[in-house]
Amino acid sequence: MNGLLVLFDLVLLAGIVGVAWRCLASTDLFRAVVLFITFGLLLALAWVRLEAPDIALAEAAIGAGITGALLLVTLERLRSIMAERRSGRPHTPPPDPTGPHALLRALHDPPPERRTFIPALSFALVVGGLLVTALWHQPHSTGLEPVVDAHMDISGVDHPITAVLLNFRAYDTFLELAIVLIALLGAWSLGRHDLIPARPAPGPILPGTLRLLVPVAIVTGVYVLWAGSHAPGGAFQAGAILGAAGILLVLARPRQLPMAPGVPLRLGLTAGVALFLLVGLYGLVAGHGFLGYADAWAYPLILLIEVAATLSIALALVALFVAGRPAGDDA
Amino acid sequence: MIANTLTVLLLLAGLVFFAAGTAGLLRFPDVYSRLHALTKADNVGLGLVVLGLMFQASGPADILKLLLIWLLVLAAGTTAAHMVAQRTWTHGEFESDR
Repeated sequence: MNGLLVLFDLVLLAGIVGVAWRCLASTDLFRAVVLFITFGLLLALAWVRLEAPDIALAEAAIGAGITGALLLVTLERLRSIMAERRSGRPHTPPPDPTGPHALLRALHDPPPERRTFIPALSFALVVGGLLVTALWHQPHSTGLEPVVDAHMDISGVDHPITAVLLNFRAYDTFLELAIVLIALLGAWSLGRHDLIPARPAPGPILPGTLRLLVPVAIVTGVYVLWAGSHAPGGAFQAGAILGAAGILLVLARPRQLPMAPGVPLRLGLTAGVALFLLVGLYGLVAGHGFLGYADAWAYPLILLIEVAATLSIALALVALFVAGRPAGDDA
Repeated sequence: MIANTLTVLLLLAGLVFFAAGTAGLLRFPDVYSRLHALTKADNVGLGLVVLGLMFQASGPADILKLLLIWLLVLAAGTTAAHMVAQRTWTHGEFESDR
């Protein structure tokens, strides 16, 4: 049985490396995106094999699902922009191969040259060798598992991963939430949102399926959030599931969705970070340190923060997919 | 013992369907026949795999979860196949950027 598992791991590893290589080597962008999604799913399998189901869930939902959707919609926008440019200026002269910007263009679109092969290979071998040497001399350590286990009773939750993320290392999670918000602010600062050039599928099949899938996705998202206190799950995974439901709705009815009201949308987007910050500041005032909780209050506070974070992450992912701040609220 | 045997048999039968569907996806000439091979084979193949795994479930909750997974994949797969087929019908075969 063990031999079979080793065989499975080797096949999985070969698949991951192979798909990654095909993804990077592909000159067709659409194919590269599809391969990237496949890569994310294989990576999720690898996390399962490493007994890290929390990361596997997050990788499958965010790494493969949402990022794949973001890349696909970017590709779609890119195509429509390029088509517009081409139709606007039909007589673009072909680029001069020896012109002043030839080097810059060569950087963006390098021709496949055989003589780059040897330097690239030797560089890869040197870096790989250094990595292997560094990993070889790692001292064997049990990590922080005993420390976490010893403090589980004051964490307020029963799942060690959630205890680390929301209590022992809450600072990291707070910054992760802030990064999602900053990414959205970056996207909004680039301009107002224009309609996705998606082509909604005619016919009753897609809306019918969505009527079925969206409630299931909401129930699953809330379940994953709730399960986070004692089993794999939590705010990021739940937020990704809810965000995926929102993205499906946006994709299926790009022209018919009502415009999101500005103030509630902004409140929802910032709820996670704001609540986390408030609780953290209260901990500072009350003497538990920044982002520390009183032991008795740990569970309700963690639950509250997780709910707000889920809402913010889901809204932020949908808003990132739509891209650009909502039209008509420049107030 | 009987449960384990049934599981192995059903999983193998499911894998045959997956292999047939994948072969069809790779070998068939156009979008419609590929979709035909892929969706039918995957639905039945996954159904057999889920049925086989149900014999290893620890309780009715697990059995229902497995059933739910199969039903969701059925719905999603059917919709995706329909959308690919409809897009091909109205816009023609997919063209790559190259």
